[in-house]
Amino acid sequence: MKLRGLFRFMLFLCTLCMGCGAQKQEPVVFFVGGAPNELEAWESLAKDFEEESGIPVEVLRQPADTAQQRQGLIISLDAKLRDPDVFLMDVAWVGLFAHSEWLEPLRNIDPSPYFEKVIHTVDTYKGELIALPVYMDGGLLYYRRDLLQEQQFDEPPATWKELLRACLKVQRERRKADPGFYGFVWQGAQYEGLLCNFLEFAGSQGGFLFQGSNVILDTKENRQALQFMHDLIWKYEVSPPNTYTEMREEQVRIFFQMGEALFERNWPYAWKLHQSAGSPVKNKTGIAPLPGPAPGKSVSTLGGWHIGVSRFSDAKEAALKFVKYVASYEGQKKMVLRLGWNPGRRDLYEDKDILEKMPFLKDLGNIFLQARARPTMPYYSQVSDITQRWINAVLADRIEPRDALQHAEKEIAALLARYSID
Amino acid sequence: MRSSMRKKKSRPCWPATRLTKAEEKRTVMPARLLLKRQDSEGENGEAFRFLFPLLFFLSALVMIPVLGTLADSLYRDVSFLPGKFIGLENYVALARDAAFWRSLRFTFLFVVVSVPLEVTLGLLMAMVLNEPFPFRGFVRATLLIPWAIPMAISGRIFELIFNYSYGAANFLLNLLSLSAEPINWLGSELGAFAALVITDTWKTTPFAAIILLAGLSSIPRDLYEQAKVDRATLVQRFFRITLPLLKPVLIVAFLFRTIQALQIFDYIYVLTGGGPGGSTTSLSLFAYQYFASGDFGYGSAASVLLFLLAMALSALYLGHGAFRRRTS
Repeated sequence: MKLRGLFRFMLFLCTLCMGCGAQKQEPVVFFVGGAPNELEAWESLAKDFEEESGIPVEVLRQPADTAQQRQGLIISLDAKLRDPDVFLMDVAWVGLFAHSEWLEPLRNIDPSPYFEKVIHTVDTYKGELIALPVYMDGGLLYYRRDLLQEQQFDEPPATWKELLRACLKVQRERRKADPGFYGFVWQGAQYEGLLCNFLEFAGSQGGFLFQGSNVILDTKENRQALQFMHDLIWKYEVSPPNTYTEMREEQVRIFFQMGEALFERNWPYAWKLHQSAGSPVKNKTGIAPLPGPAPGKSVSTLGGWHIGVSRFSDAKEAALKFVKYVASYEGQKKMVLRLGWNPGRRDLYEDKDILEKMPFLKDLGNIFLQARARPTMPYYSQVSDITQRWINAVLADRIEPRDALQHAEKEIAALLARYSID
Repeated sequence: MRSSMRKKKSRPCWPATRLTKAEEKRTVMPARLLLKRQDSEGENGEAFRFLFPLLFFLSALVMIPVLGTLADSLYRDVSFLPGKFIGLENYVALARDAAFWRSLRFTFLFVVVSVPLEVTLGLLMAMVLNEPFPFRGFVRATLLIPWAIPMAISGRIFELIFNYSYGAANFLLNLLSLSAEPINWLGSELGAFAALVITDTWKTTPFAAIILLAGLSSIPRDLYEQAKVDRATLVQRFFRITLPLLKPVLIVAFLFRTIQALQIFDYIYVLTGGGPGGSTTSLSLFAYQYFASGDFGYGSAASVLLFLLAMALSALYLGHGAFRRRTS
C-alpha cells in the first residue's frame, strides 16, 4: 500500500507541476468528452459563465469514447487528484462514483425542476443531492412511415408481436429488390448497450436484474425475452446476423439511415441525423415508444449525462457555482438550442422557444418520465460485464437462455461474495 | 543435460581459457562480466556510477509500478469499499473464477497459434530479403509498413475488412461470386479467433522478419559456398547451416513475440470487444475490465499472474542456452 501511495504521490506531483502556470485564481477544471460540436457548445457555455461570474473555467477535452472517459475519471479520482473539479458522468456510473465517496454533495440546489424519478433513483446518495442530470436519454423505436403505409400498417407497433408481423411482411416485399433489407436493428454487440436493450426486452415482460440486492436473473420472463432476442436473429431472421458482433449505436443508426431496415431501436440522438440533409430516410421516419408485451406496457432504459463535483476539488465553491449555472434554466436552454439536446430540467420541455424548434421534445419528455434506470449499486459495471457476456453468447447461438442466465447468476453471486463488507 | 551440452560446445571454442562451472554461471549477464573484470575497487565504483542512471530509471519506471501492482493485488482495493489486507484472497477468487480460466485459455491458445505462425512467415520473408535482387531496399522498407501502424489503427483496418455489411472480405466474396450470402466473420468463436490471429500476423510478421534478417546477414556467406562445393542441397543448407546459426536470434524473436502476444489487448478491444459471448477475452482485457470499474485489487492480481506467466516463459526461452554461448 505504501508503494501505491508513493505512485499516487508521483502522479500528483506531475499534475501539480503542470498546473503551476496559473497561480492567481484556481480555475474550475471541467472534464468533458463527446462529439466536436458538443465540446464547442460546452466551451462557449463555460465562456459565458466566465464573463458572468469572473471565475475562470478550463474545459479539458476527453476522448469521445465513453469507456475511456470513465477510465480517465476513475484514475484521477482514485488517486484523489485536485483536478478535475467538475465532470460529466454517464447515468450508469453515478452509483459507482457515489459509493466510492468521490462526489461532493451539491448543497443549496433545489432539485424540484428536474426529472423527479431520476433525481430520486440516480442523483441522491445518503439523502444528499450528489449530481444533476444535464442530458436525458431513453430507448426509442424509429420506424419507416412510408414502408409501413405501403403495407397498410397505419400505426407503429405497440406490442412485440405486432412488430414481428410488420417486420416479416415488409421484409418479404423489400427483399425482392434489396436482399440486404432487414426488419429490426438494435444493439446486440457485447457492450453496455446490449444490457440496455436486454432490460427493455425483459423489463417490458416483467423481468428484472435485481430485487433489492438479490440477483434474480434466471426467471421465466428473462428467459422468454432472451429467447425472443435470439429468435429475431436466428428463427425469424428479421435482425441481421451481425447484430451480436457489430451492432452498437452508430452501426445501428447507419444501417437504418441507409434505408436498409424498417425499425430501429436507438437513443434520441439518431433523430437529428436521420433528418439531416442528404439522409436517405429524411422525412420518412417516425419515432414511437418501444413496443411492450401488451399495448402501453413498454419500458425504455434511462440513459444520459449527469454533472457532479469532485470531493477532492481544490475549487469547490467555484465548481458549485459552475454546476449551478450549467444546470440552470438559462444554461440548459443554451445547450438545448445549440445542440438539440434533451435537457435534464422538466420545465424546459414546455419552453416556447424550444418547442417551436423541437416539437417532438414533448413526447420525448413523456418517455423520459417512464424510463427505467439501470441498477445503481456500485458494482453494477462488473455485473453488467458478466451479464453482457452470457447474453451475447445466447445471441451467438452458443448456449440456451436458461443455461446462460444460470451461469451469469452464479458468476455474479461469486462477485457479490467478494464484495460483501466484513 | 543442459550443462553437458554446454561443455561440449564450449570446449572447441575456448580450449585455453576454459571456465569453471561457477565462473561460467557468472558470465550470463554482460554487466557482471564487466564488473568482474574490474579488479580494483575504484574502477568498480566507476562502473557503478556509469550504470546508476540506467538503474535509477529502470527501477523508477519498471520496478516501482510492478511492485506497486504486486502489493495492490494483496489488498481488497475496491473504490467503493474500505481497503483491507486480504493476503492471497484475490488469487483464490481468481482460481475459482470461470471467466478468468476462459481468458487464460484464450490467451494461451492465441500465443501458441500466432507466435509460431509469425516467426515462420517472418523467417521466410527474411530469407527472401537476404538475397540480392533489384529494389531490395524499397521492398524491405515497404514490408515494415504494417509494423509501423499503431495497433489500434490496424485493428480498425481489419474491422473494416471483416465487417459484415460493408467489409472488404464480403465484398470480394460477392465480387468473385464465391458465396451467395455474406459471412459473419466475427460471429463464431473460431471465426473471431482466426480474425485476431490474422490481424496479429499481418502486423507483427515484419517485426520477426527484421530481427531474423539481422541474424541472417551475420551468417558468413562462405559457409554456404563451401556447402555448395560439398554438394549440399538447399534443404540441407537450411537445416545444417541457417537454422543452427540462427538459433540465438530465433529465440529472441520467439521471446519478443511471445511476450507481446501474451499481452494482446488493442485488436481485441477494437475488433471483437471480447465477444462473441466473451470467447475472445484475453487476460489483459479481463484485468482491464476490473481496473476500469474500480476493482483495482482484483485487476492487479490478474495482471500479476500475467506478469508471472510472461516471466516464466522468458526464463524458459533464456534458459535454452543461446545467450550463454553468445556471451562466453
